[in-house]
This record gives sequence, structure tokens and C-alpha cells, in this order.
Amino acid sequence: MKIKMKKIGITIGKKIIAIFKGVGRFIAKLWRHPKGRIGLIIVTILIVSAVFAPLIAPFDPYDVTQRAQKGLSPSWNHLLGTTITTGQDIFSMLIYGTRVSLAVGLITGITLAFLGAIMGIIAGYVGGIPDTLIMRTVDVMLVIPTLPLTIVLTNLFGKSYLMIIFIFVLFGWTGMARVIRSLVLVLKNANYVKAAELAGASRWHIMIKHILPGVSHLIIMNTALTCAGIMVAEAGLSFLGLGDPTAISWGKMLAEAQSGGALLFGHWWWIIAPGIGIFLSVFSFMRIGLVMEEVLNPRMKQSSNIYKIFKNLNNQYLDEVFAGMDEKAILGIQTTKEGERV
Amino acid sequence: MTKKTLLSIMTLLLFISLGACTGNEYERRGDTSNTLYVGAVAATFPTSFMPWLSRDGIAPTVSSMLYNTLFSYDEDTGNYVESIASEWYYVDPDGNPIITDEGAIDYERLEQIYGSSDKKYLPVKIILNDDVYWSDGTKLTVEDVYYTLDIATNNALSNHAGALAWTSDLQHAYSNGIMTKQGIFTYEHGASEKGYTITEAEKDTVMYIHVNKVLGAITSLFTTILILPKHIWDPIVTPENQLNSKNPTAETIHQYQNPVGCGPYVLDAQKTNAQVIVLNRNPLYHLTDTDGGNLYKVDTIKFMLYQEANVAIYSLLKGHIDVLDSTISSNYMSLFLDRDHIYVSNSEGTFTQSLVLNLNPVATERNDMRNLLSNIDVRRAIALAIDQEELVDKVLNGAGMTVSAGLMSESLVDFYNPESDILRTDLAARLIEANAILDALYPHKDSSGYRILGDKRISFSILGNPGEQEVISRLQVHLQKIGIEVTYKAKGSSPERTFLYNSKFDMTLQGVIFSLSNADIMYRAHFVTMGTSSNYGRLNDPLLNQKIEQMRTTLNLQTKYDLISELQPMIAEEYYKIPLYSSNVLTVARTDRFTGFVTVKGQSIFNSESLQNLEMVG
Amino acid sequence: MQKSFIIKRILYAFFIFLIVMTLNFFIPRIGVSDPAERYYPPQGNMTEIEYEIIKQVTREQYGFDVSTVQQFINYVDGLLHGDLGTSFQPGNPKVSHLIAERLPWTLVLSVTNLIISLFIGLIIGTIAAWKRGRWQDTTLLNLSTISTALPAFFIALILSFYLGFEKELFPAYTNPNMVSQFDWSWESIKVVMYNAALPIISMSIGGIIGYGQGTRNAVIAVTNEDFILTARAKGLSRNQVIFKHTLRNAMLPIVTSLGMSISGLIGGAVIIEQIFNWNGMGTLFLNANNTNDYPLMMGVMLFMSAFAIVANLVTELCYSLLDPRVTVGERR
Repeated sequence: MKIKMKKIGITIGKKIIAIFKGVGRFIAKLWRHPKGRIGLIIVTILIVSAVFAPLIAPFDPYDVTQRAQKGLSPSWNHLLGTTITTGQDIFSMLIYGTRVSLAVGLITGITLAFLGAIMGIIAGYVGGIPDTLIMRTVDVMLVIPTLPLTIVLTNLFGKSYLMIIFIFVLFGWTGMARVIRSLVLVLKNANYVKAAELAGASRWHIMIKHILPGVSHLIIMNTALTCAGIMVAEAGLSFLGLGDPTAISWGKMLAEAQSGGALLFGHWWWIIAPGIGIFLSVFSFMRIGLVMEEVLNPRMKQSSNIYKIFKNLNNQYLDEVFAGMDEKAILGIQTTKEGERV
Repeated sequence: MTKKTLLSIMTLLLFISLGACTGNEYERRGDTSNTLYVGAVAATFPTSFMPWLSRDGIAPTVSSMLYNTLFSYDEDTGNYVESIASEWYYVDPDGNPIITDEGAIDYERLEQIYGSSDKKYLPVKIILNDDVYWSDGTKLTVEDVYYTLDIATNNALSNHAGALAWTSDLQHAYSNGIMTKQGIFTYEHGASEKGYTITEAEKDTVMYIHVNKVLGAITSLFTTILILPKHIWDPIVTPENQLNSKNPTAETIHQYQNPVGCGPYVLDAQKTNAQVIVLNRNPLYHLTDTDGGNLYKVDTIKFMLYQEANVAIYSLLKGHIDVLDSTISSNYMSLFLDRDHIYVSNSEGTFTQSLVLNLNPVATERNDMRNLLSNIDVRRAIALAIDQEELVDKVLNGAGMTVSAGLMSESLVDFYNPESDILRTDLAARLIEANAILDALYPHKDSSGYRILGDKRISFSILGNPGEQEVISRLQVHLQKIGIEVTYKAKGSSPERTFLYNSKFDMTLQGVIFSLSNADIMYRAHFVTMGTSSNYGRLNDPLLNQKIEQMRTTLNLQTKYDLISELQPMIAEEYYKIPLYSSNVLTVARTDRFTGFVTVKGQSIFNSESLQNLEMVG
Repeated sequence: MQKSFIIKRILYAFFIFLIVMTLNFFIPRIGVSDPAERYYPPQGNMTEIEYEIIKQVTREQYGFDVSTVQQFINYVDGLLHGDLGTSFQPGNPKVSHLIAERLPWTLVLSVTNLIISLFIGLIIGTIAAWKRGRWQDTTLLNLSTISTALPAFFIALILSFYLGFEKELFPAYTNPNMVSQFDWSWESIKVVMYNAALPIISMSIGGIIGYGQGTRNAVIAVTNEDFILTARAKGLSRNQVIFKHTLRNAMLPIVTSLGMSISGLIGGAVIIEQIFNWNGMGTLFLNANNTNDYPLMMGVMLFMSAFAIVANLVTELCYSLLDPRVTVGERR
């Protein structure tokens, strides 16, 4: 018994080490890619400022006693001035704002990818009733206007980031599921999958051992891009005042600047600062997502999947939009992929 | 190719935008007529003007200019000023006025006659002005007043909850559309049967009403209910097509949109829409200034809709409007300094912000922390620790005042009781006292310096909206000094909308206004009634309740004043609604077209005194 | 195109509408036993009795005095007669009336934006595809990364600040007179254009680049296909190939994205409208939210959903016209 436990312990340990090694290799690959390097540097800066916010920020924006005179212009003491409404230090708010953006972006992005991947694989591989159910749900989700619904739901159930994350996940998995599903539909007929089926492998086994690895690159890439999209969307919702009212987030800073009279007073720094924060976080995640695609699947380099940037982003026009094009692209990829496997 | 395309793109953009960049679209800049442009911040303007429909926003302001009440109320003196009606008396059962030789109300006789319990009502005689006309030329008579009060009590015809509340002190009742009790009497409606003599000559101007036996009963009847024209509404309103119908007929909608009133202005229905309301002078308006000229100096008033305060301020600075009829935050004050043609009205507010403690939650909402608040000593310590001066200085940028713990404004010299001002001693001494009280009760503190109860830190959350976050964070600092933690809890962060009545809060902020005109309703709502009232913390003090009831029901005005005075220290010593500050009413106007704006206490710059005093420039 | 396919799609769209409609009915009823309490929460100085009266009146006014099933039937019946409910706004206007009043103003923004985005986007995209790999292409690629990372509302704030407040080129906020004084005269149309400039520019920056990038990809994808290669081999000039063959065949994905844009025409400008105080559906909805005007909120929601469903349906049908393969096989 003990030995067995020990063995399991060792395997788990090995797995963890393997994962770390994989992540390390992956980061190294990203680093070697010039575009990936920019993204990586920015993300590191963001993560550092989120984690060490109290050390970096000269003031604690949550602390009332550390508030200064209202509406100060930038100076050495207050790098970006203070707010007109409360006299909080804008630079410190900017640093602290990283926390919300990263937390919401990462939590949502990962949960959503997980859910979307499961749904997509089930729909694609199992087919039949589960497929119909999932795809019909996707259809309904697609027509419900998300932003108004978010507003209604926060009105009814209270404003918080949990609510926002919940809605993002609830509505966001559909895009991911569709992309995964269409790839799975192709993989399903691949020879090695057929072979495994003939060998009597269980459905779960096939899904986990054969299908999942086949779509993993798509999942990872999409997760990074989704995180980026979620960050923009979060900023928008915070701007509308739907986020946690006590938290400091970039979207809320922008809203405060607008309603607090930054435009009237000519305090442009109060608007620019959170805008740059949003830009950098989204930009870096997008960069990483795009580079990941090339790193993980070098053969795809040529097939110009750049429009995937727009997948799942809040950009209305392109949101779902290139689903059709995607399919074509994926088909194109798959021919090579299959050859590789066989 | 590329250059050509870029060029065409630029041209297109220019065509869309710059090309249209001409013309002066802001009509005020070039307007030389006697027109006042008033900006109002609201979501939308009403497009129908049945006065009772209006719930909030600018609708009440507009209604009060189109319609009229029987009297208006003078907050400073506590008197009713003539409007539609010129005089009123309490009368004895024979209809004779109960007045002293000087003509003032004789409260002692009133108490003698009606103080005993066998008379169930208080009769009031109202005499209307003889020269009031509806804007369509019809004369206003007591029948219009009868019709208005009658339909307000008859839910089958009016279907209006507010009207029922306004007339709750009138002893005139309907049940399912059938009159069960008559309390309004005119020449045509049973005055003589009731024993009130109204001569033929007075039949249009004299009426009697029966109200509940409290002095405050007449207030809402006189000053809240806008009188409706009977000749317009009587033919239209039926139980099927109620006054406040959800599915009004075309005729009703027409009347809603083309209101006939007796106020100083009439609506220009042609020019009015959801963004602009245009009011023109009512040439038939009966009140004049002392020289017999127009009481209100402005011929036309244009209300312009702004959906956001910043937009409105911007428009004022740019000269698109003359007056901004919305209070602005004191944070904007510096924006108006050193500008030409800007008049900032910084008027003392009547509104007191208070911190409400939930001292008696319903059984299901009790917890250890809330139970602490039922201890008056804890409440006293909290009250002592609050630094009103800092709040006024930091939160209001100095545009406000500290308030007495009796919650009555000091400027109301007739009612204000200085004995109730028990929280404005030296701050350091107050903190020592507060800490001494708490040290005796909860001496142990955790590592952060907060007191502990059992093994938990003493901590309360204050429910507020985002705008109140700054006040709350200041309170955090104040209460930290006595070892009590408070945190901000956002309204709307919990799904309950009705939480304040369900005791689902520790503390919250609440604005209170107490004055003579509302003392009857407000004292009861804030300290006595439990359930769906403003008594959020469910205070239940039998002695206080008794005193408030006594104040409410006395028929002697002097006794009432005395009781209000006595009530203030009692309220102060409950430490239940702890005063924080009273903020000033800040409004702005431009003086390049009109001068003579008057700052009135508790009101915006767009008030009736300004309207009576404005003069056009050049 | 097969008839049965069309009927199937229409029935399916109707089915989705039924689901959305049911959700819409139940959302404001979640969590309260008496919807009247949600519609009219108690106010400050009310007594218990007054509140009971008010609740009673509210129940009668909004038809809550019957069973939930009956309420649902009435709701559906109302919808069949085009009745989306009655707003809380002063004067109790009909929701459908309010929507009719605001819809054109939102369409002014979104349709103009769509046209500009599509038009300029197509041009830019074609150029980029044509000059594949050259500076035009890489610029577009970089711009598209940047513009996606810059939310439209941030661009709007910057424009409102710089062009509105600092340079005073355009109104920083919509002139409230614009709507009331509109009378189809050239003057008033100019006023609308003047006021709409900033909102449209801030919306279309992202749109132009998005469509540009989309067109570029579609064109490139098509260029690699056999028939284009054949056409090139036949000796047609490059320009001829791009305009005659490539663009036409690249239309397919663009139509799809156009369909998506159309379904977002009504609800896509909420934040932009809010920033510029544009008098459209977005501000209508946000104000309804601020005043807890549930009938209005749910009415607007339903309208937007219905619009999206119809837009999707039309796109699908158009798509199947362009690409007959769709009718035969799986939709996606």
C-alpha cells in the first residue's frame, strides 16, 4: 500500500516536473521569438505590478488617510496627479488596477477554455443528441445580446466581478466550443483515431488520449486570445459601472475620469493612464496568443490565421464572424496534420 | 493606386464630418427675446403633463408651473401663502372662523372645541381667489377643487396611489367607487345640509372640508395637490378610462399632452418633446407683483435635457443655456472661479446626511455585531468619534455645514433647540470619552488595534452608493480611532432592493429633512413606524413614540412648537441617526443675458424668486 | 436553394425566439415572490398600508394580479399585438413607442459606421492582399493588433477630449436640440452629421481595420485556390484577377461578418452612446437600468434579440444563395 502511494507520489512529482519543464521550454521558445518577447516582457511587468502593487505604488489608493488634495496635476510626488473626485493618486490606482484586469482575464479565460474545450470535444466526437443539444444552446446564446443581459443580471443579482466572470463564461464558451468541434470533426475520421476505435479503446480514452492532444494547440492559443478579449470586455463593463463598486479597475478609472470631469478640467492624464493599462495588457496577451500559434504549430505559419485575433473579442463585427473562414483554415491545416500523424 | 485610395478615404471622412462643421446650431447664443434657457439633468423629459403622473425628475417642476395648489408654504414662517385660495380658517361646527381679534388662528379655542374626543373631524373653510382662470379662459371655481379632491380619494376613477396618500387626512372616502363618507362641501355639494351657509354670491369661492384632527392634516391638501380643471376631465374620466389609466384613450392622451392649468405658465405643446419643454407666460395668471405687473419676469422658459451633469456644465460654460437647474458637486467649484458672466449660487442646504444604525433588526437578521448596536453606549461612542468638520472640509470641499444631533437645521430659529447639540464638543475630548466607554465594554484589541468581541473583530459594513464611498471611507478613519472597523458595502451589490426594510444592513447613510411642514409625517416615518418606512433601524422607544404622537395630534400650534423643541434632545440622545453634515446646494447660472438671480435657501438658482427678479441685459 | 431548407431555417429561428421570449419573461421574476415589489420598491416615508395600496395598484397596472401562467399568456398575447409593455417613465409611454423613437438615432450611428467600415475596410483589405508582405500589409497587421487592444470607448474618450474639448472641432457631447429640432431640412441633417462625427469616427476605426484585415485574409485564401491560379495561368492581368474573380469569391466570409455586424447594429453602440450622450437605444437601455425600469429593459432586450435572430436568419439565407453547398450539408 505504502509503496503504491509512494509510486503515485513519484509519478505525480514527475508529471509536475514535466509540466514545469514544458512551460519553461515554452517560455524559452516565446522568448526567442521577437514578437513573443515583447508580449512576454509586458506580461511580466503586469504580473509583477499586480503581485507587488503595494511595494511599487507610492500610495495605497484604498487607504483614505493617504489621500491628497483633489485634482492635482502631475508632479514628482504624484506622477499622474490626483483624482478630482477623491484625491487618490492616479499612478497608484493604475498599478493596483492591474490586479482586477489580470485576475478577471486569466480566471475567465482559463475557465472558459476548459468548458469550451469539453463541450467542443463532446459535441464533435460523441455527436448525436449531445451534439444537437450543445449546438442548439450555442445558437440561442448567440442571439441573446450579451451586454444588455449582463446589465439586467447585475441589476437583479448585484454588481460584482464574480457575476461578470460568470456571464463571460456562460456566453464565451460557445465560440471556443465551435472552433474545437469543427477540428474534432476532422480528427474523428483520422486514421489513428479509427485505429484506436477498432482496437476497442473506450470513448473517454480516445477523447483524452487522442483527440485532446490534437486540439491542444488550438485551445492554448485561443485561451491567450480569449484572455485578451475578456480584458477589453471587462474594461467596458467596469466602465459602465457593472464591476465590483469597491475595487479599483482601469475601466472604472476611465468612467470616474469621465463622470468626474476630467474632460472639463483638461486632466488628460487621468484618461490616458488607464487606457494605456488596458492597451498593454490586451496587446501583450494577443501577441503571446499569436506567437504561441506559430511556436506550437510551426506548419501553420504560412496559413495566415491572423484573423483569429478577433475571435471572441468584444469587437462586434468580427466576433463570431470568421467562424466560417476558420473552418476553411482548419481544414487546410488538418490535411498536413493528418499526414504527420500517419 | 495607394495614394488615390488614401486620398479618397480622407475625402470621405472630411465629407462626413468637417463638411458639416458649419453654422451656429445653439439658438441661445443669438436669441434676443425674453427667453430663459434652463438646463436640466435627467434621463428623459416627460411628454404628458397630467400633474399627478409625474414622479420625479423635472416633471414636478414643470407641473408646478403649469398648475397650482391651493396655497404655497413658507418654510421660514410656517404660514400658508395665497395661491388659488386666498384665505382659510378652522371653523366651529356652525361654520364661524376660529380666530383671535387680530385675525390669527385661535389655537386655544380650537383646542377647547375640538380637543375633546366626541368630534371626529376638524372643519376647515377655504375661500378661493375670485380671479383665477384656467388657461383656456374658463373660470376656476370651488367645483374644480371639489372635483380634484373627490377624484383623488376615489381610486376607481383616479387609480393613483400618491393621490390616496396625499388625501389620507381628508375625511372623504370611497369604497369601490361608492362614496362612503363625505368630507368636502360646496354650495352644490351638500354644504347647507351639513349646516354650512354659503350665500349665492360666494358659491364659486367658498368651500368647507373635514380633515383629521391634527394640525398637519391640511399641509398636503393645501400645498401638494395640484388642482385639476373639472370641465376638462369630468367628461373623459370614467371607471373604464381612469385618470391615471395605463391605456389612455386618444382624447385622454390629447389632454395629457395639451394641459389646461392655472399656473403662471402654459405649455407650448408644438415645441415640446422628450428633449425640450417650452413654457410660455400664461396671460390669465391671477397673481401680480406689487406694481400690478407680471409676477414672473420671464416670457418664455425653455428646459433643455442633458443626460449627464458634465455635459450640462460644459453647455453652460459654452453658453448654450442660461441656468443649470441641477445641483453640481463641490468638486467643480474651481472650474467656475475667475470666469466672466458666471454666477454660482452656494445656498445653505436643508438636507442633513445621517448615519443610520441598525439597532433593532428583525429576528432573522440578528447577529452578534448588530446586537452591539442595540447598546446605547456603543452608539454613543460611535457618534462621539465622528468628526463632522473633517467631513465638511474634505468631502464637501467646505461647501457645507455641521449639523446638530437633533437633526433640525439651526437656521429654523423658531424650532431649533440648542440643547440637542450634544456632539460638537472638542474632538480630542470626545474621542477620550468614546474610548473610555468602549474600554469598559470591550477592552481587548487585536493586533491591528481593533476591538474584539469573543474571537471576532468588531466590524460593521456601511451600505451606500458609489457616490457616498468617500464619506464612508472617511468614517472608516474616524471609527478606527475608537477601535471599530467599518467597511463599505455597495448598494446593489446584493440582490435585495428592499434591504433597508428587511434589516439587512449594519449601518447605512440616509438623508433627512425635518421642518415644521413635514414634522407630522417625517418624525413618525423616521422614528416610529416600523416596516416599510424610513425607520430603517427599527427604533422603538415608547417614550419618544408617545411624544411624537402628542406633537402630531395637538391642536395648539404653540404646544406643537414646544414639543418639536423637546423632541430634538430626545432624538439626539438616541444616537440612532447620527448627523454627518449638511451639504450646500450649488447651482450655476450665466449672467450675460439675464441678471438678478436670487439665492434661496435649500433651492437651486432656478427658483420662483429668481423668476420674479430676473432682468434682461441690454 | 431548396424550399424545405428555407422553411426549416425560419421555423428554427422562430423556435429560438420562443426560447428567448420565455427567458425574457422570467428574468425579472427571478428571486421575488411578488413582482410588484421589484417594480415598485418601497420609498422612504411610506407606511405599511400605503405600500400595500401601491403594490395593489402596481399589480393591477402591470397585470400581476393573475396567476403566473395567465401572466405569461397575457404577455404572449401582448407581444402578438405588438405590445412590448409599458415603461415607468413619466406618462407611462409604451415601450414599443420609445423604441420607435430611439431606434432611428441608433441606426444613424451604426449604419453609417457599418457603411464606412465596410467600404474603407474593403479597399484597405484588397490593397493589403495585393501588396502581400509589403509595408501596406504589415502596417495593416500591426494596426489590427493595436486597434483590437484599444477599446472603442477609450478612443471615443480621447477624441471627445482632444477634438471636442481642446480643439472644439466637433461637439464633445451631443447637442440635445439635435433631436427636437430635426425636420429633414439640409440644415438639420448637417447638425446631425456634425454631432455624429465623433461617435462614428471612434466606432469605425476598429471597424475599418477589422474589415480590412478580414478582407485581406479572405482574398488571400481565395487567391490560393485553383480557379484563381487557372485564371492567372490563362494570362489575365493581376488587377483583372483581383477584381473579377477574387473579390467576388472572397465575398462569402465577408457576408457572414456583415450579418454579424447587422445583428449588432442596435446594441453594439451602448458605451459609445453613453459617452457622447447620443439619444439612442443604448442610452435608453442604460437609463432604464438606472431607474430600474424593468418593462422597458426587458422590452428592449427582446427587441434586440429578435433583431439579432432575424439578422442571423437573413444572413444564413443569403449565404446559402451564394454558396449552394450550405443547403445540403451541415450548417457549420
